[in-house]
Amino acid sequence: MLNINSVGLTLSEVPLLNNITIDCPRGSVTALMGPNGAGKTSLLKVISGEHKASQGRVEINRQSRKDWKPAEIAQFMAVLPQSSTLEFAFTSEEVVALGRTPHATGTVRDAEIVTAALAKVDASYLAQRSFVQLSGGEKQRVQLARVLAQIWDHCEYEGEYEGDAPTDGILLLDEPSAAFDLAHQLMLIDIVQHISARGVTVVMVMHDLNLAAKCADQMVFMNCGHCTAVGAVTELLTPELIKKVFSVDAEVITHPLQGTPMVVV
Amino acid sequence: MKVLNTRLITPRLCGLLLLIALPLVSLLGLMTGPVFISLADILSITLSGDGGNSQEKLIIEIIRLPRVILSLLVGALLATCGALLQGLFRNPLADPALIGVSAGASVGASVVIVFGSMFTAGGLLLGLSAISVGAFAGAIIASVIIFRLATGPQGTSVATMLLAGIAISALAGAATNTLSYLADNDMLRRISLWQMGNLQGASWDRVGLCALTATFLAVLIPREAGALNAMLLGESEARHLGVNVEWLKRRLIIYSALGVAISVAVAGVIAFVGLMVPHVIRLLVGPNHSALLPLSAMAGAILLVAADALARVVIAPAELPVGVVTALLGAPFFLWLLVVQRRRT
Repeated sequence: MLNINSVGLTLSEVPLLNNITIDCPRGSVTALMGPNGAGKTSLLKVISGEHKASQGRVEINRQSRKDWKPAEIAQFMAVLPQSSTLEFAFTSEEVVALGRTPHATGTVRDAEIVTAALAKVDASYLAQRSFVQLSGGEKQRVQLARVLAQIWDHCEYEGEYEGDAPTDGILLLDEPSAAFDLAHQLMLIDIVQHISARGVTVVMVMHDLNLAAKCADQMVFMNCGHCTAVGAVTELLTPELIKKVFSVDAEVITHPLQGTPMVVV
Repeated sequence: MKVLNTRLITPRLCGLLLLIALPLVSLLGLMTGPVFISLADILSITLSGDGGNSQEKLIIEIIRLPRVILSLLVGALLATCGALLQGLFRNPLADPALIGVSAGASVGASVVIVFGSMFTAGGLLLGLSAISVGAFAGAIIASVIIFRLATGPQGTSVATMLLAGIAISALAGAATNTLSYLADNDMLRRISLWQMGNLQGASWDRVGLCALTATFLAVLIPREAGALNAMLLGESEARHLGVNVEWLKRRLIIYSALGVAISVAVAGVIAFVGLMVPHVIRLLVGPNHSALLPLSAMAGAILLVAADALARVVIAPAELPVGVVTALLGAPFFLWLLVVQRRRT
């Protein structure tokens, strides 16, 4: 669904990304991890089209990123940025409704989707509140509802899987859980699992190794613009790799009930 | 959970109130002036073409009607362009002066006033005096320079545009001041009066020119409402929502430069309407542009007609510059609204 082929990025003569290759099949969850300044957000911006790759290319559904029209891409790919700078007093409901901008589904259907998306992120009670007055975590939840509303039909797709249809959704999340409390971090994991099970391909930047381990199909360790390791969670979460990438001594144990690997520092 | 709604009224109610106020204020504008004309006379003159005495008929047809219509159009243009620019800069304090239009227009007008004798041979163009043509040219030149300065290979940076606008406005201000220094007493008075805004020169030609511009913009601007809403989230967010941000910015700059330049050309610099009206409407009904743009246009029209009517009667038979009145009327109302808004939130 999403292929990143030998992508390099140089901005103002500063090399930010170097020869990154990652394949994200339909419905997979990829966690981009690494220390600050490793190039995670830059990579996300190359995928979202905000930066043009200096080398290599990004392919969506086997078609080069730059051959897609922005209005086409917006119908199935949504991007949640690290933080929002909205300073106009939209209500939360109106912010979520902006996610329907690329679609012409009509006000009735849009209103249904907005209500459902707010409920999904546990923010129904914020619907009429002014966005600018919300706390950081509440704002991020409303923004999450906005990007879900943008690709809602893909997130809630219940039909038969018929190959790589061009309509499969892609969701890019940049540190989605940074402002969330514990309960909402778990809510995020639930949402990611729910939508990936319905064919949406998710790429997310995360700092919490354990949270990523809960829902990622593959992990990408990045360092200084390079891809240090790509693989399944169990392959990557080893004390040696964690030491190499994060310069931290850690133990990896197995979750006593769920059997997933856990990093203890 | 207590639901906090910070909106004062719904867009529908606001629109209804403005629709009621619009004809009432317009009639008031037709009635007031050095010669008071009664409502009955106005209705019979405008509707059936006769009634009243011939003097009143002349005043309405040649002076007041074009003046009221021009005020409506200029007010609507300024307020709508203000709303567009506030959306473009994602800053509720942006104002048409920011893209250098007003400062550029001042230079253009001052040049014509000071070196006017060279231009008089040209006569009138589309009902515009040489001063208006100078102001229009100055406005367009300034906004083109600012746009070019802010546009690079990465696209147009609104932050650079803001800074360039301030710098070009300062430069233009210096040029206007130099011209004022060179000017004699009469020229100096004309320059400063022009900078305070004035609808005295209203004529049917000017109404036609403004109506043409307003119609053109009224067809194009409402289409941008959705994209403008998305822009409020941020430029990259708008891009991710499928908006072609670079082209949107260009169109918005062209629309607002055109709208403001025409207004300035026919009525001089009228401060505060473009800044205040959209801001007030936003406080009342929220930032959604599909409501904000038409409501701002209506409110701007009403404000300017009312201000102009007041300008004609306060020190009658002399007239105050309308820009002074818009600030006198608008600023206290604006402050009151800010206080109310703070108390509610």
